[in-house]
Amino acid sequence: MIKKEYKTSVIKFGKFIVIFLIADFTLGIISKRLFFSQETGKYARSTYAIQETDAKVLIFGSSHAHRHYVPEVIEKELQTSCYNAGAEGQQLLYHVALQKMIVKRIKPELIILNIDEDFLYHSKEAYDRLSDLHPYYSEYRDDLEPILGLQSKLMDFKLFFNGYQANSTIMHVIRYYALPQLDYKGYRPLFGKVKPSNNIKEEVQSKIEKGVEDIDQNFVTALHTFIATAKDNNIDLVFVTSPTYLTVDHTTNASFIRIKAITEKENIPFVDFFNDQQFTGKPMLFHDSSHLNDDGAKLFTKNLADQIKKFKPHHDNN
Amino acid sequence: MLFNSLDFFIFLFLVFIGYWFVVYKNLRLQNVLLLVASYVFYGWWDWRFLSLIALSTIIDYTAGFRIYESNEKSIKKRWLWVSIVFNLGMLGFFKYYNFFIDSWIDLFASVGYELQSTWTLQIILPVGISFYTFQTLSYSIDIYKEKLQPTKDFIAFAAFVSFFPQLVAGPIERATNLVPQFLNKRTFTYKTFSYGIKLMIWGFFLKLVVADRAAIYVNAVYNNTENHDGLSFIAATVLFAFQIYGDFAGYSLIAIGTSKLFGFDLMTNFKRPYLSASVSEFWTRWHISLSTWFRDYLYIPLGGNRVAKSRWLFNLFITFLISGLWHGANWTFVVWGALNGLYLILEVLLFKKRRQGVFNVILTFVLTNFAWIFFRANSIEDAFFIIKRICTVPGRLYIGSGDDITASLYATLAIVILILVELKKEYFNTMFSISNHKYEFVRLTGYAVLIYMIMYFGVFGKSQFIYFQF
Repeated sequence: MIKKEYKTSVIKFGKFIVIFLIADFTLGIISKRLFFSQETGKYARSTYAIQETDAKVLIFGSSHAHRHYVPEVIEKELQTSCYNAGAEGQQLLYHVALQKMIVKRIKPELIILNIDEDFLYHSKEAYDRLSDLHPYYSEYRDDLEPILGLQSKLMDFKLFFNGYQANSTIMHVIRYYALPQLDYKGYRPLFGKVKPSNNIKEEVQSKIEKGVEDIDQNFVTALHTFIATAKDNNIDLVFVTSPTYLTVDHTTNASFIRIKAITEKENIPFVDFFNDQQFTGKPMLFHDSSHLNDDGAKLFTKNLADQIKKFKPHHDNN
Repeated sequence: MLFNSLDFFIFLFLVFIGYWFVVYKNLRLQNVLLLVASYVFYGWWDWRFLSLIALSTIIDYTAGFRIYESNEKSIKKRWLWVSIVFNLGMLGFFKYYNFFIDSWIDLFASVGYELQSTWTLQIILPVGISFYTFQTLSYSIDIYKEKLQPTKDFIAFAAFVSFFPQLVAGPIERATNLVPQFLNKRTFTYKTFSYGIKLMIWGFFLKLVVADRAAIYVNAVYNNTENHDGLSFIAATVLFAFQIYGDFAGYSLIAIGTSKLFGFDLMTNFKRPYLSASVSEFWTRWHISLSTWFRDYLYIPLGGNRVAKSRWLFNLFITFLISGLWHGANWTFVVWGALNGLYLILEVLLFKKRRQGVFNVILTFVLTNFAWIFFRANSIEDAFFIIKRICTVPGRLYIGSGDDITASLYATLAIVILILVELKKEYFNTMFSISNHKYEFVRLTGYAVLIYMIMYFGVFGKSQFIYFQF
């Protein structure tokens, strides 16, 4: 009697698994189609960077990259093509993955990585937000597996399911169909000027109170990988720090010190705009305490292009 | 170990296989397996606190016997007190010690005496302590009341105390219901197995899609009260009502479903509470295992409603006040409990007949939501600030920034699905049924699509269940 119950359960459960896999496959195709049909928004920008851009200069980094680097200014100043592949809220692990997927198709001449001073400090969000890469997993499994594997040891199993790969994407699709999010070659300007506030100082101060023990070795490895991938593909690399509204003391910031040390060792040009007197304390150039507004971004990009011309003169001649 | 983790699925699969395919012929071995599995399940979170469960098990096992065997009332009573003092003492120490010390210090400070807080301790609250202490207490009390005979089978009793599906967040089972199930042979049937799986799937939908999506908006608003206006607080409070329902009812369904996989029947813990037409009805549908626990072991011993009216109202109020405190060592929970007590008193005084109809359902929902403000707020001050803001500054509705915008849209969509399902179950139970559809293909496809929806819309960040903190 009990054997019959086992048998019935196994057969019915088997049927259920088959039906589920078919549903996952079918609905997954629809979900993916919808995902890759986006024309604006963060996913559309990443997809464009991975699958379409042929720009000679690519910008990588978090919201500071996305909001500070004006491709049109770089194109004009360096007489080349440029795309801003910066992604808000994303950190080194994401940029490494994005870079790997892009260089599989094209070899840009120059990659500019905007450095956030706390890039190497452990951040749970940095791991959580890697889920933005899930929809690309089927196509770029080899490149993404080592990075997504840091999220969970069983990521490979989870990403076997199309539903999981496309998790949380449909509302983005609907949202950006209803309200397209315009960008200028990946750059989205911010407007308005910062209101000075006492809280800002505390916020900035708190960032530099972390120590060496807070450095995440996965992020250090990611930085080395980013550099190695560029070198392996003969891509010039420049690290840049964006201006901040308030003067910040980075002399005790373990993350920033480590980044600079790696940069020096790897012989990567480093353009440091932290505490740059042309920007610091100028509310007209900032949208908030850590983001430039459009005027500030254009001025910053122009200054950066001038710096790049100094050590990459061939860009000026193209 | 969290239900919403892959670790749990692997664990469940292994225990299930061992239980039905390896030791299925031997009831005692099945209980041993469940006991070991339960300790692994709990130890996955923090093995140090396994000693508390073990201690609780030994003391109540002994107390149960002593109460039963003794012919003297005083000895029976003494052993009952041993059980009560141990369980409530443990709960009091781990959960309320710092709360009471801090409250005393605040009280003295309010009358001008500044005391140095050197008495507070660094205490970690053991997960599920409120649940398993109440469950074991029911065992001793029921034996004392001669509703139950103690079991000689220590393994079965230990497995009852630590039964992993409901160990950390209920349902709080009665010994009279669960202990006999550990003593009798369980039989595997396809019907129970499939029903368990269905309950688990719906539980995961409630947790991962409804609760965890709503939580993103709720946390954004309730954790930054200074930056939000009345409309946002109303939206966040309504979303919280569904968050806590999805979170807790979801957990209960997963627990009940998991138990069914092993041949156990646990009590229903939620029965569409937001369709209640009065607060008293709400409490017959919300966290039923706790409400009935307080009814049987506190409200009725206090005299229940078979006393003078004033005493009856006092009994109601005190029961809900203590129920509030049970939820957490914070004055917000005490006020929440008191508010619910007050609602019930007003219902007794104002309404003679049973209330019905859409208006009363909406009114009850509004009253419940008002109480939820205290439940969710980070402090009493925050709660009053929120209420003031709702009444005086409607302002603009916060729609979130970045991914928060889509999170609230997902939450709304999931809540609409939940409401439709609940309405169908309440008013059209036999119609439009997918789970009982005559065609197997429709049934299986329905649940396959539901799992797809969980994977497509759910939040997969291993979020804790809210009731773990209680």
